[in-house]
Formats: sequence, C-alpha cells, structure tokens
Amino acid sequence: MWSGRKSISLSKFCVLVFAVMLIGTVLSAPWLIRWFRPDLAEKKALFLSTIYSGSIPAAILLYCLYRLLHQIELEQVFITENVEYLRRISWCCFAGSVICLASIPYYFPWCFVAVAAAFMGLIVRVIKNVIAQAVELKNESELTI
Amino acid sequence: MPIIVNLDVVMAKRKMSSGELAEKINISQANLSILKTSKAKAIRFSTLEAICKALECQPGDILEFRE
Repeated sequence: MWSGRKSISLSKFCVLVFAVMLIGTVLSAPWLIRWFRPDLAEKKALFLSTIYSGSIPAAILLYCLYRLLHQIELEQVFITENVEYLRRISWCCFAGSVICLASIPYYFPWCFVAVAAAFMGLIVRVIKNVIAQAVELKNESELTI
Repeated sequence: MPIIVNLDVVMAKRKMSSGELAEKINISQANLSILKTSKAKAIRFSTLEAICKALECQPGDILEFRE
C-alpha cells in the first residue's frame, strides 16, 4: 500500500540518485565533453569550468533537499529550519543560473539551462515565502490560549 | 507587547492556585503558564469567559493596556 512515508522515501532515494549522477558527472566530465561534442574539444577547459563551478551549488542544493525531506519525515514541516533550507535551495538555483549565463558566450545552449534554473529558483522562492507564512501562523495558533 | 496579563494578581486575590484554575477552565498548566507570563499571542473569548467565571472578575481585571 502506497503511503506518505513511502513517498518521502522515494523522494529521498531520487535525491541520492541525483547525488550519484552529480558525482559521476564531475568525475567523468572530461570524457563526457569529448563524447558529447567532439568538435568542441578546444573549448574543453571552458566546459569543465562551467561543470565544476556548477556542481558546487548543485551539491549544496541536493544536501538541503535531503535535509528538508528528512525533516518532513520527522513530521516537522512548518519550522524555520525548513524555510532556511528552501531559501538556500532557491539561491543555489539562481547561482547555477548565473554560472550558465556566464557560459553562454562560448556555448549558447547554456541559455536554456540558465532560464530553467532561474525559473526553478523562482518557484522555490515562492514556496519558501508560503512556508514562512505558514510557520508564522502555526506559531501564532500555538500561542493562542 | 503593551497588553499586560494580570492573572497572577487576580489569582492571588482569590487565593487560587495555577493547578486549580487550569482544572476549572479546562486548559493545561503549560498553557496557563504561557498566559500568565504574557507569552501568549492571543486569547480566545471562550478562555477569557472561563477565566472570568472561575475568578469572578471582569476581563479588564485580567488584561491591562500599558504604553
């Protein structure tokens, strides 16, 4: 039988899968570039710098996502800690977007990744604002006697 | 907050303990303590009514506005 708990476990598993994929990408970046675009071999250093610098916010994002899911698993949803995790996730998306934007001059398709990352960051930011309001409401209702 | 809760004073006048009042108005001692220490953000009319009934007083005896 499917339950909320199993859903959280699946989400945590997906985060771990993405973490493994991230590690794999970082470790095999030079080969990936050669395989993906052999014609752009001369721009390998630029591709590597984008991938390595982008992997830092991606790693922070995945860690925050995992911690957030862990808190939800402990049934602690509307707490300030979660708002902070969502804020960090949002900033990581924006950081990734900036890195991709900076990479557009040597490879235009980074533009699509930049827009997608910024849009994700915006969505997470709105969710963060909603959760922050919910935390405030919860605290107020708890202190209503 | 400029609203002061004078529950302690009224309770002392009526010689009523926290446990006794909590039992009479049907709230936990922890919540009564939050109310007494002015940590509460709001008070329900039903709670205020129960306190006034138990302590035989007016809401103004319990709550005070101070700038």
